[in-house]
Amino acid sequence: MIPARLKHWILIWTPLLWLLLELVWYPKNRYVSQGVWRILGGFIDGRIGSYPAWTLLAAAMVFLGWGIATLLKDVKARRLGVVITGVGALLLAWALIAGGLPGWSPGQRSGSFGWLFQMALLVLLACGVRVWAVTNPESAESMVWNIREVWHLFRSNWLGILGLCVLVVFVLLALLAPFLAAHSYLSPNAMVTKPFGGPSFSYYKLFGGDEQGQSILAEFIWSARISLAVGLVATLISTVIGTLMGIGSGFLGGWRGEVGMRTTDVFLVLPWLPFAMVLAAAWGRSYVMIIVIIGVTSWPGTARLVRAETLKLRKLQFVERAKAIGSSDSHIMRRHILPNVFSLIFANTILVVAIAILSETTLSFLGLGDALNFSWGTMLRNSWASGAAGLPEWLYLLPPGIAIVLVVLGFTFVGQALDEVLDPKLRKREASENTRPSAPDHAQGAADAGLVLGPSGGMVVADALDEPPSAGGLS
Amino acid sequence: MDRRRYFLRKIANALLTVIIVTSFNFMLFRILPGDPSRLLLPRGSWSATIIAQQKKVFHLDKPLWQQFGFYWSDTVQLKFGDSFKERRPVTAVVGPRILPTLLLVGTGTVFAVIIGVTSGVLAGWRRAGAYDTLSTGANMVFYAVPTLWLGMIFIGIFSARLGWFPSGYMEVAGASYASWWEHTKALLDHMFLPALTFGLGYMGQYHLIVRSSLTGVMKEDFVLTARAKGLSDNAVLWKHVVPNAMLPTVTIVMMNIGFIMSGAILTETVFNWPGIGLLAYQAMQNRDYPVMQAVFLLMSVAVILANFIADVMYYYLDPRVQG
Repeated sequence: MIPARLKHWILIWTPLLWLLLELVWYPKNRYVSQGVWRILGGFIDGRIGSYPAWTLLAAAMVFLGWGIATLLKDVKARRLGVVITGVGALLLAWALIAGGLPGWSPGQRSGSFGWLFQMALLVLLACGVRVWAVTNPESAESMVWNIREVWHLFRSNWLGILGLCVLVVFVLLALLAPFLAAHSYLSPNAMVTKPFGGPSFSYYKLFGGDEQGQSILAEFIWSARISLAVGLVATLISTVIGTLMGIGSGFLGGWRGEVGMRTTDVFLVLPWLPFAMVLAAAWGRSYVMIIVIIGVTSWPGTARLVRAETLKLRKLQFVERAKAIGSSDSHIMRRHILPNVFSLIFANTILVVAIAILSETTLSFLGLGDALNFSWGTMLRNSWASGAAGLPEWLYLLPPGIAIVLVVLGFTFVGQALDEVLDPKLRKREASENTRPSAPDHAQGAADAGLVLGPSGGMVVADALDEPPSAGGLS
Repeated sequence: MDRRRYFLRKIANALLTVIIVTSFNFMLFRILPGDPSRLLLPRGSWSATIIAQQKKVFHLDKPLWQQFGFYWSDTVQLKFGDSFKERRPVTAVVGPRILPTLLLVGTGTVFAVIIGVTSGVLAGWRRAGAYDTLSTGANMVFYAVPTLWLGMIFIGIFSARLGWFPSGYMEVAGASYASWWEHTKALLDHMFLPALTFGLGYMGQYHLIVRSSLTGVMKEDFVLTARAKGLSDNAVLWKHVVPNAMLPTVTIVMMNIGFIMSGAILTETVFNWPGIGLLAYQAMQNRDYPVMQAVFLLMSVAVILANFIADVMYYYLDPRVQG
């Protein structure tokens, strides 16, 4: 039995050790910094069987297994188990998006992990969820109830359903890219037509060829991965920073709150696009940098939203009660404030994804992305640089642009629908409100479940309007 | 809060932010990973004497804290060194680029505000009507469309296919015009597509914001009271609903105007419009750090200035601030 204190250390040291092992393993004729860069860059590398994808899978397995073991062994440590299992699931999802399902794709190297292995991982994940549900029946029940309720309300919003369908199509496109187009068609010398060759009914020539005669269809399919992955990961970073800053500066007040507010304001007025261009010129170009830039510049909107909500919650009685019985600030923030702003953050996050994907397009278009991997923005850049707009070469111009518009609209519709569903004040169906448990104790009970339909204050739209928009908006 | 205190506080806020952003600008180019003399000095082609001279211009031969002091005194005097690319003072490079950007962004913004706000008001007033469904759908698409792609599509349709408008630049290179009228006509001809591209995205945003804020206001009690008094639809809409719904719109418009210098980077790049945005793009391509530094500062200060103006306007628009 490992003591609890040690467990936290393990949680911190495992990734570090893993990184160290990676570096030891890395070819000796390269610089270490290059190795770190490569590992980070590999997280979103589109190439199958590329080096980091399978290490991600391995890490996912370790985390999943460890999390499930913790869940099984020690009921008291179940929160830790949930965290570890969650990390494992995230890594797995990431590996799937970044590395694909290797082994099934035509013409790929066979050294990478096979699909059986990945199926086993998925089964493990399912087991983990099952174990969690068995060990925490009341949380599981409340979560299932929540999801069912949300889905029930969401279903009646036809725009939300439409957006969800569009997103499912594009996510499938991204996940199944290796089955839809061989990655080898993206390498610089893989020509299928003459430059700007017209379309024909052979599969890879459906959209014709680009300025070098490469298959536009293959580029389009593989672009979905980077565009979606960059958007999602950047949003994750942005949401984490925004939530921490928002809750921190809203709840703590005093000089800490003031510093937080001031920082948020500075980032709000920072012109993010030139900022990104400066960083790109200084650091070189890659998708990791694009992710970091979008993540670091797009959080102030979330922070202000969360802060406004936190200020409201802080005055409520259940927070006072927690204070009165001597709860620490961090405890109140984690267990009382966070669950109650969660639904607000959740709906906002999905809207931020839309903006992040647009930002990714912008930055890739300006040439800040990795030249070897394709995203829809990179495709647009290539078409612009090669003068496809002046020809005009519609089959080169339209697919990436339309895909971006559809994905952005999809996320916006889903986000707005969730806003309506999660926000009691905007909700159309009054009847269902009567069946909901009263807010605070419900929030307490479901805190473990993660998804809480507590009182979000019902000010999502109004708040969003009172506050200036995020700096990382459209430009 | 009385007026003087309010304004003093806002001025202090703005000044503080300017100081932070300017210091940030210093750090961005000197403290970030990478040797500042590598970043701030041109590569290769320049002779040792010029490099030494350039080093002196940026005070890179002194310790960091002294550099910081020199940086401030230089910035206040608008001395940004020489552009690597054009080999003349940065102010001379940046200066002529300001007016075209103001022209383009100003025209686009006026267009976006007028059309967007009007259409938003009409849509919000008859929510879920035929006009609302149509216009809101269209504006959501405009909101979601990447500007750069819209610009390329416009070039494809209007200049490549139909030949109605030129595909880029502010005027025909080397052309001399018979009269100022001819010149203006050529300018408008060149400006139409970029301004439209720039304006459409913001138009969508303004439409959506006005519409949703109108919907919120129309649920308020005072609207019911106005109706109960027997006021006509027009009076209720324009005298009671619209003024109350305008506040968030003003915020957003002012925020966007703040990004006036940086907002048009994409439009200017796609259309080769010789403004600040294109300059920023070119400077990035050429790694022309002195220019980038000045442009970044200019863009940041524009935002802060616009925010300050918004605060001043708020004082007069929103009685709650005065109270």
